[in-house]
Amino acid sequence: MENLVYIALFAPFVGSLFAGLFFARSPKTHLVGIVNSSLIGIAFIASVTLALHVAEHGAVHVTMMSWISAGDLSIPFGFLVDEVSVTMMLVVTLVSTIVHIYSTGYMNHDKAYNRFFAYLSAFVFSMMILVMSDNFAGLFIGWEGVGVCSWLLIGFWYHKEDKTFEENPSISPSWAANEAFIMNRVADLGMLVGIFLIYWNVGSLQYDVVFKALPHLADGLLVSIAIALFIGAMGKSAQFPLHTWLTDAMEGPTPVSALIHAATMVTAGVFLVIRANPLFSLDAVHGVSMFIASLGAFVAFYAASMALSARDIKRIVALSTLSQLGYMFAAAGLGAYWIALFHLAAHAFFKALLFLGAGNVMHAMDDELDIFKMGGMKKVMMGSYVYMGIASFALAGLPIMAGFYSKDAIIETAFNDGSFIIWAILVITAGMTAFYSFRQVFFTFHGEERYKALGFHPHDMYKYVLVAMAPLAALAISFGWFMDSFHEFITKNLPDYEMSHHTHDLAPFLGTLVIILALTGIFIAWKKYAGKGADAWKRDEEFEQSFVYKLVANQYYVPKFYDEFIVQPYTIASKKFWEIDKAVVDGFVDLIGKMFYKSGDVSRGMQTGSLSAYLNWMGVGALLLIVTAAITALIG
Amino acid sequence: MDHILSILIFLPAVAGILGFVVDKGSAKAYGVSVAAVELLLALGLWASFDTTNPGMQFTEFSPIISQFGISYNVGVDGISLFIVIMAALITLLGIILLRDDTKNMKNMIVSLLFLEMTMVGVFLSLDAIIFYLFWELSLVPMLYIIGAWGGADRVYAAVKFFLYTFAGSLILLVGLLAMAYLFHLESGVWSFNLLDWYTLKLTPDQQFWLFLAFFSGFAIKVPMFPFHTWLPWAHGQAPTIGSVILAAVLLKMGTYGFVRFSLPILPDASVTFTPFIMALSLIMVIYTAMVAFAQKDMKQVIAYSSVSHMGIIMIGVFAMNAEGLGGSIFLMLSHGIVSGALFMLVGVIYERTGTKIMEEFGGLAAVMPVYATVFGVMLMASVGLPLTIGFVGEFLVLLGFYKVSAVGTILAGTTIIIGSVYMLALFKKSFFGPVRHEKNLGLKDLDKRELTALLPLVAIVVWLGVYPKPVLEPIDNSVKALLVQMKNHAQLESTKEAIIVSKKEAK
Repeated sequence: MENLVYIALFAPFVGSLFAGLFFARSPKTHLVGIVNSSLIGIAFIASVTLALHVAEHGAVHVTMMSWISAGDLSIPFGFLVDEVSVTMMLVVTLVSTIVHIYSTGYMNHDKAYNRFFAYLSAFVFSMMILVMSDNFAGLFIGWEGVGVCSWLLIGFWYHKEDKTFEENPSISPSWAANEAFIMNRVADLGMLVGIFLIYWNVGSLQYDVVFKALPHLADGLLVSIAIALFIGAMGKSAQFPLHTWLTDAMEGPTPVSALIHAATMVTAGVFLVIRANPLFSLDAVHGVSMFIASLGAFVAFYAASMALSARDIKRIVALSTLSQLGYMFAAAGLGAYWIALFHLAAHAFFKALLFLGAGNVMHAMDDELDIFKMGGMKKVMMGSYVYMGIASFALAGLPIMAGFYSKDAIIETAFNDGSFIIWAILVITAGMTAFYSFRQVFFTFHGEERYKALGFHPHDMYKYVLVAMAPLAALAISFGWFMDSFHEFITKNLPDYEMSHHTHDLAPFLGTLVIILALTGIFIAWKKYAGKGADAWKRDEEFEQSFVYKLVANQYYVPKFYDEFIVQPYTIASKKFWEIDKAVVDGFVDLIGKMFYKSGDVSRGMQTGSLSAYLNWMGVGALLLIVTAAITALIG
Repeated sequence: MDHILSILIFLPAVAGILGFVVDKGSAKAYGVSVAAVELLLALGLWASFDTTNPGMQFTEFSPIISQFGISYNVGVDGISLFIVIMAALITLLGIILLRDDTKNMKNMIVSLLFLEMTMVGVFLSLDAIIFYLFWELSLVPMLYIIGAWGGADRVYAAVKFFLYTFAGSLILLVGLLAMAYLFHLESGVWSFNLLDWYTLKLTPDQQFWLFLAFFSGFAIKVPMFPFHTWLPWAHGQAPTIGSVILAAVLLKMGTYGFVRFSLPILPDASVTFTPFIMALSLIMVIYTAMVAFAQKDMKQVIAYSSVSHMGIIMIGVFAMNAEGLGGSIFLMLSHGIVSGALFMLVGVIYERTGTKIMEEFGGLAAVMPVYATVFGVMLMASVGLPLTIGFVGEFLVLLGFYKVSAVGTILAGTTIIIGSVYMLALFKKSFFGPVRHEKNLGLKDLDKRELTALLPLVAIVVWLGVYPKPVLEPIDNSVKALLVQMKNHAQLESTKEAIIVSKKEAK
């Protein structure tokens, strides 16, 4: 089994090196795409085998070698494959494999095809380290590794020029990449502080040692650790107020958005909370957990509200990702860790599918993102239409689809917990989710073929790519059916979450309520946008002048706020400091230097070369000496 | 392996003198071979070094002026070993990177070899006078390198560099003499032997003043805020090779001085001064990082970033535990490698375009992909990405300093944010976006000479990032020994409490 662990971990790394070292400078090589996809596929097969093994025999724990040891600190490269991490490994490798295959088609015409695969596989490797590590420092390696890969991939088309915020809210790919990296680093500092706290109070960073020691720690300390770790999670999972990078990250190629910014990396924060459940489920940190749940519910609603009127096909999907991350945090914060993980997996499948479908549309529309310019595309892109439809049904949480089971369980959890505000927010958000998802589908695929007037000639993606997406579609439909067996598997490791009898009795009504809301959302979207004719998609100019629209369209002015209250003051302060450095700090040094020059200039007057002047100075000197001697004699 | 340390110190000097008679055309080849032999010897030293022994090894001792206890006394431990190896490595790679058409190549090579002697000498000396001699001598070749091969304001910059550091050193010298005098008072014999000094117990009051004297010499060299302004000038005017050695090795003499002198000789004062050092270091970390962000000149960004990173090293030195101190020694090495490489990279683009202003570039990633990749690796090491050399030291320093001050660590920890701000801004301006000038479209990527100098550094960045153990272990041993020595030596109970060799032991 040990070998399988290493195969699952290093196969993506080998792929990255293969593409990066041998083909980085050569033109597009199909071999790279094939080899890298196969290597990720191998990692997937290894993960499946490991999952079967874990189900039967329990966790596999390997230690490869020691990494850092200094003082009392000893960090190994150790990997733990248990129920939680193997679930993540399955999700990561499965979605990655499909995205790799998809990319061979999507990036077919890109000059930097090989470089893309080098980065993409490196990302998978980092993500595997993140989920498989058996200690917090190892997690941090993966944590930063995915950050760098995300930076490289968001900024993949680095040659594009900066635009103004009004023209393009993400400025440029390289700008968005830097924003993502820096904003994540803010959160990483919190994570590091958490790691330091753990080390100095437990003496180890190994999960098992730390979790065993937790009950012996003081309450205040536990709260600090929980807060610090959660700040880390907020960055990667783009929780408010560290969320703006996620929508800007859409500047990256769409397969990247599907893999990194929907299915895997952004769920790392949720994974951290789930992994550290022995900490977050302690009574002492209940307040922090409640905060996590409340923030999650808030983000779910907040993001959904922005998605309602967005016009950019990728931003809509990104915002829905943000919203769904909120659901996951709500579940994790309420202690339903296994439900959070279940939704994480379900979401990974249907959201990746949705993104890849959106990618097909963009591909067909020469990278056009505005859904107002599309319409009626189901005729030319039947496959993508079906896929996006399935994904949207799953996202909206309609019966038998994956999202139905996972999201409903979260909503039920909130009800069961007695957190009715959270519950109400999540229910309303579910309705909004259905609306904006189908608004997008109807805008894109139904109604008038507006693209024709704009001179587009869309055609669907390569057949093999559509076939490769099929597993995701199948899972988007059916993943929920396996909820019971997943429950049985995962609760060997994660704490179970029991619904009360009361909740259990009410469950059918609660479920029906959500379904009705979702159907209503879809119906409104249908009414408004699915029809033919100008009415269906004409821009409501009056509405666009309203305060609410402006607020939402400007992302609640959060990016503006950051720009005006953080970026610009920082820039100005930096320049001021530089001036101070030159004028004051260095000026003072020069002043001392000048004093010596000046005193030299002055005393040069003594060196006249005239003998009588020297005699005079000698007299003065002698006098001074005598006076000094006399004074000392008197005092002494 | 007898006298290997003396050979290490004096081989470059002897070779430098012989270098005067070498033919002009083969000066560079001569320099490369001497530096290569020196590096091999340094690696040989590592190979025969007993990594389990935390004390001084390969010591040599011969009295010079026995009446005053001045002797030629050298030795190496885990702390100095790798700095010496790094000095030899950086010198070699720096010479390799020299362009064949460098004017007065022969003088350059001689200066560099002479400089190498002083650097190696400083790190190996165990006698305060010998240490001081090498310390001061190191100024001469650097003064010459900046003054003779520098930019337009080279004379001003060179004189500033010289006078500023020299003034600080004089106060250091007074401190060293006072220390010897105190030793004489106590024991009746004169000695400048560091190991003798380690045994001397000084009152906290004596320590206080001595600390200040040492501080003025070391702090200017580091350079600590507000004594840092000579550095941007020196870097701004120095030729590439000068900046590389200055940033990679010469600055480390300051932090090394704190480790070798201030900590073990003056443990109580070191603890007393920790808040003061912390305050200055935090200003270094944050303020200079912000100044770095405001720069237009790529080289100045790296120069100011050096000051910022040296601030992290300083707080590690004063963390008073094995994690922090060990981390700071490691960070000295990693900063040497990374900043050395970054200055080389700036030199590469300056040679091609004649400018260092970032606005002039843009889109270099497309024109010079290999250059961009190497730069990217060094950037990531500079911002402390795990599995690069930069992470290990930075992580350990911050971890160790957390024990001293949580707030201080959080403030210092902002380095991972603002450090990436200025580095990513640099990278974006220079490498991303459209190519600003048409003439830049034809820029050549790294050639063989440049790759020979840079690829070893890339390899080290990855190797020691993934597997720091061979270096970290000897450092850790010697650091623990140093802390034990500090603890035994301390006069105040509060000092003993502040110094943590191992928590397990404490329990």
